[in-house]
Amino acid sequence: MPTLRLLSAQLCFVVCAAALSSAGWAKDTGLVFVSNEKTNNLIVIDPKTNKVVKDLRTSRRPRDMHFSADHTKLYVACGDDDVIDIIDVAKLQVVGKLSTGSSPETFGIDESRRRIYVSNEEGSSLSVIDMDQNIIVQEVPTGAEPEGVFVSEDGHFVYVTSEVGDLIHLIDADSGNVVQDVVVGTRPRRFAATPDGKELWVSAELSGEVYIIDRDKFAVKGKLEFLPPGMRKTDVTPVDLRITRDGKIAYVTLGHAAHVAVVDVPTRKILGYILVGKRSWGLGMSRDEKTLYVANGFGDDVTVIDLKTRKATVSIPVGRIPWGVVIDD
Amino acid sequence: MIRFFMHRREGKAKRAHPNPVLCTDVAGTARSLSSGRRKAGPVGAFAPPTLPALFAFLTLLAPAFAQTAAPPRQHISIGYVEIEGDPRYEPVRGFERLILKTREHPFTGAQIGIDEAAPLVRVLNTEFALERITVKSPAEVAPAVTTALEGRGIHFFLIDGPAEAFKPLAAAAKGRDALLFNVSAEDDGLRRELCAREFVHVIPSLAMRMDALMQYLASRKWRDILVFEGPLPADAETARAFTRSAQKFGAKIVADQHFKAGTDPREREQNNPALLSAIRGNYDVVFVADEAFDFVRQVPYHTVLPRPVVGSIDLEPMAWHWTWEHNGAPQVNSRFEKKSGGRRMESADWAAWVAVKMVVQATLRTRSADFLKQRDFILGDAGFDGDKGLPVSVRPWDHQVRQAVLLAAPYMVAGSAPMEGFLHRTNELDTLGDDEPETPCHMNR
Repeated sequence: MPTLRLLSAQLCFVVCAAALSSAGWAKDTGLVFVSNEKTNNLIVIDPKTNKVVKDLRTSRRPRDMHFSADHTKLYVACGDDDVIDIIDVAKLQVVGKLSTGSSPETFGIDESRRRIYVSNEEGSSLSVIDMDQNIIVQEVPTGAEPEGVFVSEDGHFVYVTSEVGDLIHLIDADSGNVVQDVVVGTRPRRFAATPDGKELWVSAELSGEVYIIDRDKFAVKGKLEFLPPGMRKTDVTPVDLRITRDGKIAYVTLGHAAHVAVVDVPTRKILGYILVGKRSWGLGMSRDEKTLYVANGFGDDVTVIDLKTRKATVSIPVGRIPWGVVIDD
Repeated sequence: MIRFFMHRREGKAKRAHPNPVLCTDVAGTARSLSSGRRKAGPVGAFAPPTLPALFAFLTLLAPAFAQTAAPPRQHISIGYVEIEGDPRYEPVRGFERLILKTREHPFTGAQIGIDEAAPLVRVLNTEFALERITVKSPAEVAPAVTTALEGRGIHFFLIDGPAEAFKPLAAAAKGRDALLFNVSAEDDGLRRELCAREFVHVIPSLAMRMDALMQYLASRKWRDILVFEGPLPADAETARAFTRSAQKFGAKIVADQHFKAGTDPREREQNNPALLSAIRGNYDVVFVADEAFDFVRQVPYHTVLPRPVVGSIDLEPMAWHWTWEHNGAPQVNSRFEKKSGGRRMESADWAAWVAVKMVVQATLRTRSADFLKQRDFILGDAGFDGDKGLPVSVRPWDHQVRQAVLLAAPYMVAGSAPMEGFLHRTNELDTLGDDEPETPCHMNR
């Protein structure tokens, strides 16, 4: 079975690369990257000084960003040019582009298969891109306005939200078929998986909830609701979420409610709320899990949170409509 | 006589069809699990599924197949009732050959709502379809609805008619299993005196629109207002509603000038914007009520004082505008333009889209095609996604859909009311239009 051998060769390549990178390939610069939807650039921040060190032009409307496993490349979905820009992290330059469907928003990478799964907001589909050949090898129809993409750890399944359909699609990555749907709250946006692989958390922006999906059964097993002090239920519009590596704490941006919620994952209890800027969406967490960066879409800035004290320490002006944050560490 | 037309093109052109035909637009095309997707490009670079993957895949397929094998697929039809030759959709002309605005029935708005429901077929085993019913006069709306309700079991209707169609409709639908969505009549009287349980007013009322505009003016501290009022009954209605909003939000009408379009020099005190605006004292802004969209075109740049003009031109309170760029609006606008062949989405389109969404959501959330359950869901506390920020929902006292109102300038939305700082004890959207204590209509009591 030559294809299987090819797969294992690829796997070995990735695993070896990952092993080597931790041994010193990655620069581990610690630099913080913020994508700005309206100014078509990434702002690069030095976390030690909280100063902007680079203003990096991209294709139009950069949104979701992901590093390659070895952190030498940063992929950026650019919605208005229908491309994913490839950035050389060492040089801080755009060095290539991948073509996508109409208006790519978020994506997931499966390096072992050299695939990118990207949701096309305008096209109501998930494009499967071959990273090496730079071609779309498959288009999977989804509900209207697909957004969040999560690729299962083994690469066999892809989860996609449909903002208008109020659905999570479970897609078989091998066949490219939607095998099941689950109904969640209104306007589902993004995912975070618990490290034990058992749960998938999904934000439902307009109903102001986070749904917890049991991944074995692919069914809703619970949901969280939020209400920061002084806010109304309708202000609460959760978008991005992160779960710590030990699976204990989750952070959820609450959009117009201008807070980040801190949740105890095992008990699902809300431990508190941290005040941030207007329309908080994208989240980035440093690898040491000491610092959280929040992109404030209507504040044109990023709030830096010290996770030990759970307090915002500083806000850094970036560009217009910051969307997401990733950190090279 | 009620007639149905098939495959009629959007717009005013050639719409008559010799035979009465039923037009059903089934955009909720069913995609079974194995169809509706296509493979594009080479796939040779990929490894075939591994054994564990296949196993996992089959395990997942089992419940999915069980789902589709079960009960027969349900169909929910939504009626869309419109009037042929409805003058509200005549083009607005400067001269015979100078068309200033084309106006279209909001059927495409309903269609995109149906399109969006297509993926739900897998989950709900239910298909949604529109039945377009075109009648000849407002008086024929009520019989058309009764016939469709009794003869074809349709319970949900989008009513695209003027206010006069609603009174007989209220009588005909009273106590029946029908929910009638008003998608294009903004008259306050339908929400106040008529006050019928079978209606859901999706389009904002005139009172809501005027409150929205006044909140915007008040938020800019433009509180002294000069009013120009046209000769039509609708202009008087608008001026009255605006004056009421001014009282509500603490603004002052410094003068209410009645204009008359024309060039007769003997009537220059009424037809010349400079003379009309040459009043003793100052004003911050000029509000014009001109349903005909004729005189109002000459008001900007022709006032004695350099002041912004609002109301029927330049800054208009609307349910929807094609430049709204938040809350997912660009995607809806783009789906709409694709569907309509380039037309831009307008307020009534928004209302028709939301009405269909309400029916779809009711089916999704109650997991039922039972009309009473669906109706109770729509009229309950449920919030719907109208792509205008705060969730839209039905006010229990007069069945008006509470929603944000956009303050639309020609090329941008200048603001979205409720404006910041206008507070309400339960829901800020209820600062627009008739709040519970203000209305004579109390269906919830």
